[in-house]
Amino acid sequence: MALPRRLLIANRGEIAVRVIRACRDLDISPIAVYAPVDAGAPHVRLADEALLLPGDVPAESYLNGPLLVELARRTGAAALHPGYGFLAENPAFAALCEEAGLAFVGPPADVLRRCGDKAAARAAADASGVPILRGTPPVDDDVAGREARAVGFPLLIKAAGGGGGKGIHLVRGPSDLASALRLARGEAQAAFGDPRVYLERWLEQPRHVEVQILADHQGGVIHLGERACSVQRRHQKLIEEAPAPGLPAALREALVTAAVRVARTLGYRNAGTIEFLVDGEEFFFIEVNARIQVEHPVTELVTGVDLIAAQVLIASGAPLPWRQADLRWTGCALECRISAEDPHAGFLPSLGRIDGVTEPAGPGVRVDSGAWPGQVVSRHYDPLLSKVITTGPSREAAIDRMRRALREYAISGVSTTIPFHLWALDQPAFARGLYDVRFADGWEPEPPTPEVERLATLAAAAWFHRRLTTPTLPADGAVGRWIGAGREESLR
Amino acid sequence: MRVEATVSGHRRIVEVRGTADEYIIRVGGEAVPFRLRPDAGSECFRLEVGGQTIPVRICAAGGGASVIIGTARVAVGLRRALPIPSRRNAGLGASARREVRAPIPGLVVAVPVAQGATVAPHTPVAIIEAMKMQMEVPAAAAGRIEDLRVRPGQEVAGGAVLAVIACPPDATGMDAPAVAGQGA
Repeated sequence: MALPRRLLIANRGEIAVRVIRACRDLDISPIAVYAPVDAGAPHVRLADEALLLPGDVPAESYLNGPLLVELARRTGAAALHPGYGFLAENPAFAALCEEAGLAFVGPPADVLRRCGDKAAARAAADASGVPILRGTPPVDDDVAGREARAVGFPLLIKAAGGGGGKGIHLVRGPSDLASALRLARGEAQAAFGDPRVYLERWLEQPRHVEVQILADHQGGVIHLGERACSVQRRHQKLIEEAPAPGLPAALREALVTAAVRVARTLGYRNAGTIEFLVDGEEFFFIEVNARIQVEHPVTELVTGVDLIAAQVLIASGAPLPWRQADLRWTGCALECRISAEDPHAGFLPSLGRIDGVTEPAGPGVRVDSGAWPGQVVSRHYDPLLSKVITTGPSREAAIDRMRRALREYAISGVSTTIPFHLWALDQPAFARGLYDVRFADGWEPEPPTPEVERLATLAAAAWFHRRLTTPTLPADGAVGRWIGAGREESLR
Repeated sequence: MRVEATVSGHRRIVEVRGTADEYIIRVGGEAVPFRLRPDAGSECFRLEVGGQTIPVRICAAGGGASVIIGTARVAVGLRRALPIPSRRNAGLGASARREVRAPIPGLVVAVPVAQGATVAPHTPVAIIEAMKMQMEVPAAAAGRIEDLRVRPGQEVAGGAVLAVIACPPDATGMDAPAVAGQGA
């Protein structure tokens, strides 16, 4: 089967840019869509055509399934890439694409349905002989108390209808159950349109390790190795790396074998991730993420495989161009997610307008970014701005390059997670690779040293002086910057 | 220009001289030459001092600046040093009313309390959704809901007052009573 000539990207931000780049490499014409607030975004500029969506609210924009299919039809796109989040794991939307004759770049609707039903995915893993955590089917409020006692506290409440960390709540004891259930149901309803939740045993200090899978329509399934994603907060990943540090070879082999087995049992197609918790020598299946993941670049950099291009190839009906034995892993890769969140204020979303961005580059540094000067960080969308991915022959080299890259990264207008990442890289537990999912809980903005306070005082005083002495003219665009600069100069 | 800079309650007079981002600062008799080079946008600079360059982000916050250096954030109170003594040290005293404010802008999805209800410090007063996350806003003090100002479905700005709680005289909230003075 031939590749599509044109492909519509039903997403925004860094992942839309990433898909556009894969399209260029495959000689496919990329078509972007955008909400009004994203009008100046990089994905709009880089695509061959960009179509305006009616509103900023997700339901009117990137969740507007029927309109997105109609726009694909109107622009002559033969395929649609959903990115991650939004409609990426929505079986009804995948079916809508199929009915319209569009190749949905992801698993087919029936696979999405099986993976999206977390209870069914757990049952599939169980059936393929892969260990799972003790848990329940979706529960009603009136039996939740009894079910919770059977699972044992502490436990997690998880949304049956979706992943991505939404709707997950930790319950330490029976007294917290009712309020956590209410919040979890509310989030699950808002994020996935499905209020069903289930309960699952919670491990105190596990590590999160996941395996990247590619499966074609001819029955070929390969794995591309594992990623370690234990640096998490509120079940949102912050740092990911490949390979997983400190994972014994035998355990790694067991994990990747289990992942391929789960993928086969589910009849999996396209790119997917099988997530596990590792506790000592034990491991447990948790869920399948039936989409390309935010952290896919670390796998790309250690395997040399373009995962987005592979997704498009598979969706067009091509068999996998590699056998398992063809894959080689080289070096180490590390990813830091740069989000508009304030690590000094409990990681609250930092809303505002970005008025300047300087991104890092150089040897061993890749930046997948959707950030731009003028960008309004609104509450409608995920706060992820970009990802910095570094590589090196060793883990230490990748970490050193990350430190260099983060010090080059300057984003003005919103707070970002960069200070958290700088902290994480310097923690002895992280340097040794001996960190678990509790690691990020140790973040506490340390009281500044006297030297840092001295530097801050110098910088603040000069900044204050600069503000009081620098004349400014309103930047309304009515005056050209050249003329404006001249006028400002004459006022000095 | 003489600037009064306050860090962690410690006040210092800093003398700033210079132009075009090149400064000499005098702190307690010690002269420090440095540059503050704009890096990106209105907030990001590189501080060149003592033979090295340090990325900093400086943004206006309250009556001063919030300076981010590496992993640390330092709140610096700033004002021009004037020879007039401050009048801002008169205490306001503890209030018997407590306002519950929205920590971020968002959509109110639920208001689990009613007007006139009695609340404990941790009782959720509202549930706000932003960026696909829901969070409970606790009452912050024990008392009675005197004025409930939001309904489910309403959009609120960050810092908007959601409810006003009338606290009994002996109520102890989660925070110490407000202290007047330089805000951080």
